[in-house]
Amino acid sequence: MKTKTQTKKIILYIVMLAICVVTVGPFLYTLFIALKPATQGIYDGLLPANPTFANFVDAFYKTDFLRYLLNTVIVTGIAVPFNLLFSSMAGYALARMNFKGRSIVLTLIISTMTVPFQLYMAPLFQIAGELGLRNSYVGLAVLQVSTAFGIYFMRQAFLTVPKELEESAYLDGANRFQVWWKVAMPLVKPTLISLAIYTFTFTWGDYLWPLINTTESSMYTLSIALAQMSQNFDGGNLKLISAASILTTIPSLLIFIWLQKYFISGQTDGAVKG
Amino acid sequence: MKKRLSFALVTALLLVGLMACSSEDEGNATSDAGSSGELSGEVTMWTASLAGEPFDSYFADLEAAFEEMHPEVDVIIEDIPQNEIEQKVLTSLTGDDVPDVVNLAPRYMINIAAQGGLLELNDLVSEEVQNSYLEGPFEAGYFEEDLYALPWYLTTTVSWYNNDHFEQAGITETPQTTQEIYDTAKAITDATGKPSYYQIINQGDTVIEKMISIANGEPIVEEGKALLTENEEILEFFTLTQKMYEEGIMPQENAEGSFSTAQELFMANNVSLLESGVTFLGPIESGAPDVYNAAKAGQPLNALDAPMNVAVMNFSIPSKTDNPDAAVALAEFVTNAENQLEFAKVAGTVLPSTTESLEDEYFTNPGDSPKALGMLEASTSLERSKVLIPPVENSSELYEIVKMAFVKNIQGDITPEEALQEITEKWDASFEKAGLTPTF
Repeated sequence: MKTKTQTKKIILYIVMLAICVVTVGPFLYTLFIALKPATQGIYDGLLPANPTFANFVDAFYKTDFLRYLLNTVIVTGIAVPFNLLFSSMAGYALARMNFKGRSIVLTLIISTMTVPFQLYMAPLFQIAGELGLRNSYVGLAVLQVSTAFGIYFMRQAFLTVPKELEESAYLDGANRFQVWWKVAMPLVKPTLISLAIYTFTFTWGDYLWPLINTTESSMYTLSIALAQMSQNFDGGNLKLISAASILTTIPSLLIFIWLQKYFISGQTDGAVKG
Repeated sequence: MKKRLSFALVTALLLVGLMACSSEDEGNATSDAGSSGELSGEVTMWTASLAGEPFDSYFADLEAAFEEMHPEVDVIIEDIPQNEIEQKVLTSLTGDDVPDVVNLAPRYMINIAAQGGLLELNDLVSEEVQNSYLEGPFEAGYFEEDLYALPWYLTTTVSWYNNDHFEQAGITETPQTTQEIYDTAKAITDATGKPSYYQIINQGDTVIEKMISIANGEPIVEEGKALLTENEEILEFFTLTQKMYEEGIMPQENAEGSFSTAQELFMANNVSLLESGVTFLGPIESGAPDVYNAAKAGQPLNALDAPMNVAVMNFSIPSKTDNPDAAVALAEFVTNAENQLEFAKVAGTVLPSTTESLEDEYFTNPGDSPKALGMLEASTSLERSKVLIPPVENSSELYEIVKMAFVKNIQGDITPEEALQEITEKWDASFEKAGLTPTF
């Protein structure tokens, strides 16, 4: 019996190790390339012979990294709180408020998730131009300030909040806004954090819309800068590209590590009620 | 207290949004040439994947020089990642934020011109300027008999080889026929124990160009009908590439066939011989210094008089430009002999498209670095280079057909005869459907 359990454990660890190699392996490989000095070829051994941060320093200064980082931080800084605010307001309304056409509204919102971005990119570009959102931070964040996914995700979370809690708050004299903010919102905190991470990750790495909606390179975000490096006309410097990729990934990684406890519980919360 | 904090939070969020609005574009207003005839207004130029140094300084100087010549003109130069530039131009044409001059590869130019997105330049560019360019690259700016682009920098095909592997196998010369490629590659693989030859496929276009070079003047398509099954040399190419793949002389990755895979394999010493453009060594210099030092260039792997393809980067002017006069003037300025020569020196691995620039000592005596040797070979092969595939509307379909058949062939799924028959039938059908009767 003990042997059987041990065998199971060994198999489990092998599977976990294999998954780890597949998921973390490419990241580590990129890190090793980025740490290799100028004299070492990227295929000369797996590990850097004399690790150096020179490629990181070059990537930082040669790409105007600070400007692109600042742009990305501002855009993400707008997108995340606004998406949380608007998605939770809309999601709460769709979960708790009874109004005519509620199911139609929900269906319409969900159906927008199935439309590929390329299909409405041109009209969106026109509208953004007419609204004066070209080359602006709001213009870059506008697609993420209230997402269909966010609304649906929050609605599902609000459905799990016991109605009795809200009803007792009403009895105590709270209005609908107060019930949403003080009763429902604290109870869906893990889902809010999950949505924040999703929005952060997507906005941080978004490429096509920021590229289309900017006509000034001073408004570019990190993902565009990375594309410029990797699409360099003669193929570029792979060590530099690897270093820039790592630098771009670090903030997402730190935020995920910081919030992963809530993220996992938020994911399961959203899945409980359908 | 909590209530106040909540209110403050919501207000702060809204305020951030409003403040961020303030950084929006102050205006894109441009104006046409002034009433006196002097150029004026704003002119925006988009380059493709030429960001960072040394290009930033080059374009800053170029901008200053043009503005000095035309004090009323404000030049704005922005760089766009190459893969998305076509999509970005097409999207911009649906609105008003359209650039005035755009750096486009011919395949993008054709697609945008076919949709009416580019200005016809026939009457806007003087004959003198038109004659200053090399004939082949200049013709790449034509689509359906109208001029839509001026040529800028070029790359043409050369052969690249790892000289250490050549020495190991006792090879002293680059091959010039498909049979010689097989013999050379086999000798290297026997000596190194690794794959040695790589045929770049890309979208299928590189294989078509190779077939045209092999046909050496004989058309592979005549009035919309493919003649591939009648060409023994092309059949030999398909037969021997299949054999090389089967024998491990060509790497398994060749089925993917991209330029970047070729670079990676060359860097990793898993490929020793191939044909490519002068820019091939770009990432190899920093990514594999030893391989870079062992790299040498030669003439393409065909008969020495075979026509070779020239890859051209163009400048086009979108039809919705607000400032066509200044746009044409800027495109002419950027592509003049002096500026092209300077650009080629800055870039290090490209050729200019103006006759005068090529006469400079930089191209006749470029030095002995691997890149310089590539430049020397490229400027030699440029004499017999032209755009081998004419700009036709169904080009993407033609590329795809060849790619599929070539990959199936090297993998041994079909015989070389079947591969050429498949291409012939599908090409004929494609030309018939599009109502086209080209010869090339």
